[in-house]
This record gives sequence, structure tokens and C-alpha cells, in this order.
Amino acid sequence: MTTVVSLRAVRVTLGVNVALDGIDLDIRSGERVALVGPSGAGKTTLLGVCNATIRPTSGTVRVLDLDLDLAQLNARDVRSVRRRIGTVHQQLHLIGPLRVIHNVNAGHLGTWTRGRALRSLMRPVQVAQATDALASLGMAGKIDERTDRLSGGEQQRVALARVLVQDPELILADEPVASLDPARAEEVMDLLCDVVAGRARTLVVSLHDFELARRRCDRLIGLRAGRVVFDEPAAEVTDAMGASLYRIAP
Amino acid sequence: MTGPRAVTDLTDRELGISAPAANRREHTARRSSISGRLTGRAWAVLAVLGVAWALWNAGIGRRALVNPGGWTLQRRFWAAAVHPELSSGFLATTWRDALTTMAYATLGTALSVMIGIVGGIAISETWWKRDGSGRALPMGTRGRRAGWYANRAAWGIPRGIHEAVWGLYLVNILGRDPLVGILAIAIPFGAITAKVYADLIDEHAPGAYTALRAAGSGRVAALSYGVLPQTLPDLVSYTFYRFECSIRSAVILGMIGAGGLGFRLSLSFQALAYREMWTTIYVLVLISAIADRWGSALRRSPTRRKVRTSMVLGMVLCFASIARLRLDLGRALSPRTRSHVADLVERSWPPRPPRDGWWGLVQRSIDTFQMSLLAIAFASTLAILTAFVAARGGVAPARRTTAALARLLLLVTRAIPPPVWALLVLFVLYPGPLPGAVALGIYNFGILGRLCAEVVENTDPTPARAIEALGAPSITVFAYATLPLSLGRFAAYSLYRWEVALRETVIVGVVGAAGLGRLLEQQRAAFDYSGMFATVLALLTLSLVVDAISGAARRSLR
Repeated sequence: MTTVVSLRAVRVTLGVNVALDGIDLDIRSGERVALVGPSGAGKTTLLGVCNATIRPTSGTVRVLDLDLDLAQLNARDVRSVRRRIGTVHQQLHLIGPLRVIHNVNAGHLGTWTRGRALRSLMRPVQVAQATDALASLGMAGKIDERTDRLSGGEQQRVALARVLVQDPELILADEPVASLDPARAEEVMDLLCDVVAGRARTLVVSLHDFELARRRCDRLIGLRAGRVVFDEPAAEVTDAMGASLYRIAP
Repeated sequence: MTGPRAVTDLTDRELGISAPAANRREHTARRSSISGRLTGRAWAVLAVLGVAWALWNAGIGRRALVNPGGWTLQRRFWAAAVHPELSSGFLATTWRDALTTMAYATLGTALSVMIGIVGGIAISETWWKRDGSGRALPMGTRGRRAGWYANRAAWGIPRGIHEAVWGLYLVNILGRDPLVGILAIAIPFGAITAKVYADLIDEHAPGAYTALRAAGSGRVAALSYGVLPQTLPDLVSYTFYRFECSIRSAVILGMIGAGGLGFRLSLSFQALAYREMWTTIYVLVLISAIADRWGSALRRSPTRRKVRTSMVLGMVLCFASIARLRLDLGRALSPRTRSHVADLVERSWPPRPPRDGWWGLVQRSIDTFQMSLLAIAFASTLAILTAFVAARGGVAPARRTTAALARLLLLVTRAIPPPVWALLVLFVLYPGPLPGAVALGIYNFGILGRLCAEVVENTDPTPARAIEALGAPSITVFAYATLPLSLGRFAAYSLYRWEVALRETVIVGVVGAAGLGRLLEQQRAAFDYSGMFATVLALLTLSLVVDAISGAARRSLR
């Protein structure tokens, strides 16, 4: 199996705060990895390093066989790696006033030319693909609705459909279930895992819910204060490890 | 609970779309049938058709509109910008004029706040509720409800008439008294402030006020303990925003006779002394910039010290202004004034249409409507394009320089009063509705551009970043995130400025542009009071019609 993400001695400081403090990590293709840990442990920063939106203060980052040294990469190279990474955000970051079709098609924007992107706003293109993606999430009828008129759960599906049409090799999800009730959280994790399983894609997801992470992922990485506390297959993670992770610091 | 940070927040208050007020209004919006049926797209089509109709009537493509001979004068005017008149004599005059204009603006604002507080209490739902138990309308007895609605409607009338028209009437009652200028500002602005303050009270009442009322205190006591202290910072901030508007109004009133910078501007124009005009314009820009800066500093971080300093300074300015204008209330309240009022009422009744009959009045109303439509189409197109350039938040030095220049352009276009723009435009365009529309368009571009730039600054950047993270080029990010996220706001503010622009058609009409404003000016010159009354009624009706259209269109945006 090939290595999708490879971090060596990655350190990120934001002002005086150390967000990540010497992370070494390899994630192989097809893995489902959960990042767990208390608020402020560095989960979001780690995901940001992986999709080249946060630049490490020191250390090397290699994602999808490309060295992400942001100081040396030009904009074109950064774009070319970004379009192969799909990111699902906790706040979804959908564009409310646009119709669902455009929010789904936004998944193509990394690959489409400018002209095609602008034309699609007038007369949507690749509608069939978007319809399929929405249908697989049970949202076939909503393609022409305004996105901000949808319910929270429906918007979550639109965000997932965006990732589906983007068809990335690596999916990063930042707290995708944080604001959902337990039943809906299960459902969204199901959908995410289905998306990954379908085409042997890699999933890195940050989760608050320790139990959910153990049930749904192959591997758990425990983060605390910017360091890796444990990195084990899901089956070997014990309750005690979880408890120590969330303990309030003495 | 966050206070207003930007001019857009204050405009939202005037529109009643600050969050709590919007919640309250949702019920009414749902009941209204028109807004339920027309979508945003339908409104857009209607707007395009309306503008095309207005352009056709203005004679675009049908007759000569541009007067080629006028370019020389126009060029001379702009050339004078680089060497304004700086002789010590003229500078001293300008200084005195600036003091006069500031005095009008200060006292106009002060009086409008007093009217606003009293009126705001009088039209708040809180005041009319029987027991302050937090119940919404209907408020107990039918009589109270009717009282509230009647009150609201009555306070809508002063808002529907422009300051200049109030000025024309007040001059007839009070003669050449400084009180004319002050009241002309304070009456319409007081009514707007009252509406805003009523919403503020209703927003804050569910807490302390309700508790105090439940404990048996009277309405006045409960208001002064439970509402006034909490709403004070917002009120001070809004007052400063109104002060910025009052300065612009004081200049316009000056042009029609109240004195100060506006009067100097029209004198210089009549003498074709462009260099003097530019001195005055630069002073106007400077005053607006200072008021702007102060207001925005106060809004961004309304610390207790800043609020208190502003209030003390406001008091000082008030007393200085009273001294400057030699205000004498005794004269205004004399029996002579009362007989003038009686005389005016007698001569105004019954309203009589112009020589070409009621149909002529309708025709001119349509002209005025079209003029306002063209003006706002022109202003909002330019403003939206400029907003993205003028918005703060760029990093690159070149980007920041262009942004600063764009903001300066907006400042200058809104510091020069519309009648001056109209006269300048009349150099190169033949008289008709078009020059009036262009003049109003340029002026409103300055105001709207600033609002739109703030919208861009305050738009949530995260959806754009999410699309950027997909590897999309910047133009695509703009088209898919930045533009759609701000377009609704742009439309709402354009509609709001349309309501204002309609009222402002009067002041470009005064310099001969077209429509009801011109008619009003002719009738005033002929002392035709019953004719004036009919015209004012037409203006009021038209402004209610435009308010209704704009309100329905805005509701479809939500």
C-alpha cells in the first residue's frame, strides 16, 4: 500500500501558541483514520497542514507524493495537489444563496477552467453527475432549491455530495458530526465510510466522540497539546487510553 | 448582544432587519401576498424592464442628449480642482460658512434625537402593551391596537417628505429664521430616529423592563431604569451616524437659502468661480471624513470613555451652535407665527392641480418615478463594481492603495451635494429627466458604494476559503462564493437607497431637472400654495408607493 500522507517532525506555532509539536505520522492508502483528543489538541491544525492551507513552522510534509513545502511550491502546484484532496468542514461552508446544484458542482472548481465555471453559473453543466451524487445520499429532488432553505441535515448531505463529485483520493473531515444528534452522527459517519469504501479512498477524520471513532475507523490517533499520545489500530485502543486523553491537565 | 459596528448595521436598523426586529416581522412578511408570489428572479426581471422603460422615456437613442458645447465649461471646472481659491479673505469666509453648516447639522441632530426618544417610546410596542408581560400584538383591547397603528402611520408622513420641502414650508411660517434649517432637518430625521429607537426599545424590553413592570412600577419608571441605560450606547452611535447625514442635509438646505457652505457653493457657481467652489468642496470632504472617522471609531469599540467624550462634545457643540446661529425661540413662538400658519393653511386648501390638470400631476409623478429608478440603477451598478475594489482587508500594497483611492472617490461623490452634481451634469446634458437621474446617481453611488464595501468586508470568508482549498482560481472563487454571498445585501441596500433617492428627486428638480421637483419650484416661485399642496400630496403618495414596492422586493430576498 502506498503512503498518502507522511509527516516528519512537523511543528506549527501560531503566535506564542504551539499548535503542533513534533508530529511524525504515516497514513497509507485506503486507511480510515480518526484523530481524537480534547479541544485545542491540534486536530484542526493537523488537517490544515494536510490540505496545504496551514504552513508548518518546521518539518516536512509529503501528501500524495508531493513535497508540500509551501515556501517553494508555486500556486499552480499547490492547486494541483489541493484538487486531489476533499475537505468536509464542521461548519460546512456552503454558499447559502446559491442553488444546491452549484454547491455540489463547486467540487469541480479545482479542475474546471474559469470559463466553464462561470458558464455553469448561468446554465449548470454535468448535472447528471451531481444528480447521481445527490441521489446516492437520498437528496435527488432538492437539486434546484436554494441551499440556505434546506435543513441542517440536508445541508450536510450537500457538503458530502460536493466531495463525491470532486472524487478526491484523500478525504479530510473536520468534526463532521460535532453539531448532530447521536442518530444523525452515526448516519453521517456511515455515509462518509461508504464514500471511502467505494473507491479505496483514504479518510482522515477528527472526532470528539471516542466511541464513534472506535466503531467506525481502522486506526485512532490520540492528540493532546500538539503531540501524538497514542497511535493504534482501533481494536487495540482501550477505555483507559481514552480517559487519559481527555483528563483535565493537573 | 452585539452593538452596531458598521454603517450597514445602522442601515439595517432603519430597515428593521436587525435580527430581533426581523424575527418579529417574519409573521407579517409571511402574511403579505405579493412577496409570497414574486421570487427574487421575478423582481430582477421587473427591475430590468423598469429601467429600460425609464431609459426609453428619457430619450436614450431617440434624440440628442449630449450638448457638445458644454464640455469646455466642464473641463474648466475640473481643472480648477488642482488650484482651489486659497486667499486669506475667502478662507476666512469659508471658515465662517463651515461653522454655520456645522451649527445647523448639530442642532438638527440634537432636536431629532429628542423627537426620536419621545416618538420612539410613543410608537414602541412595549409602551402600548397593557401590562408589559411580553405578549406581542394584539395588545389587549382593540383601542390600544388601533392607537398603535395610527401612531405608526402618523410618524411615517414626516419621513416621506424631503428636508428641502420642509424647508420651503417652514420659511413661509417662520420667515428667515435659523430655526427653519434646524426644524427642516429635525422633523424627518426625528421620525426616522423614532422608528429606530422604537425597535431598540422593543428589543431590550423583554428583560429588565418586563421584570420591573411585573414588580409594579410605572411605565416611565420602568423605561428609565430598564431600557434607557441599555440602549444608550446604540443610541449615541446612531446619533453620530445621523449627524453625518445631517451635515449633507445642512449643505443642501444651505443651497436653498439657509446659508453656510451650501449657500457659498451656489453663489460661487452662479459667478462661475470654480476655484472657490473647489475650496468649499475640499472643506466639505474634510468635514465628512472627520465625522465618518469619529463615527466608525465609536462603532468599532464603543468604550464607556469614548461614548462619554462624544456626549460631552455633543453638548458643547450644541451650545456653541445656539450661540453661532443666535437662536431665539421667543420669535418663533410669537403670535405672528401662529397667524402665518393659519394663513398658509387657508391658502393651501383645497389642493389644486397644475394647469394641465390632475393627469399632468400623474404624468410628472411617473417622470419622477423613472428618474429615481434610473438614478438608483446607475448608482448601484457602479457601487457594486466599486465595492470589491474599495473594501478593506487587502494585503498587497498595490491593492491597499487602490482601495484607499476608491474610498476617497466615494467620499468625494457623496460630499458634493446633488444640486451641484445636477448643475455640472446640465453643462453637458440637455435638460430633462436624464441629467437629474445622473446627478442623483453619482451622489447615491458615493453612499451606496460605502455600504456595499462594508458588506464585502463583513462577508463570511470561510466559504471562499473552502473553495480556494479545492484549488480553484481566484476569479472562480469570486463568482461562486464572494459574489453570491453579498449580492442579496447589495440588492437590499439598493432598494433602501431607492426610497431615499425618490425623495431626493425634489432637490435636483429645484435646479430645473424635471418631474414633481421642478413643478414644486415653479409653484413656489409663483406663490401658488394650493398647487404646492397638491404636488406635495403627489410626492407623498409616490414615496409610499415606492416604499411598498421596495419593501415587498426586500422581503423576497430573505
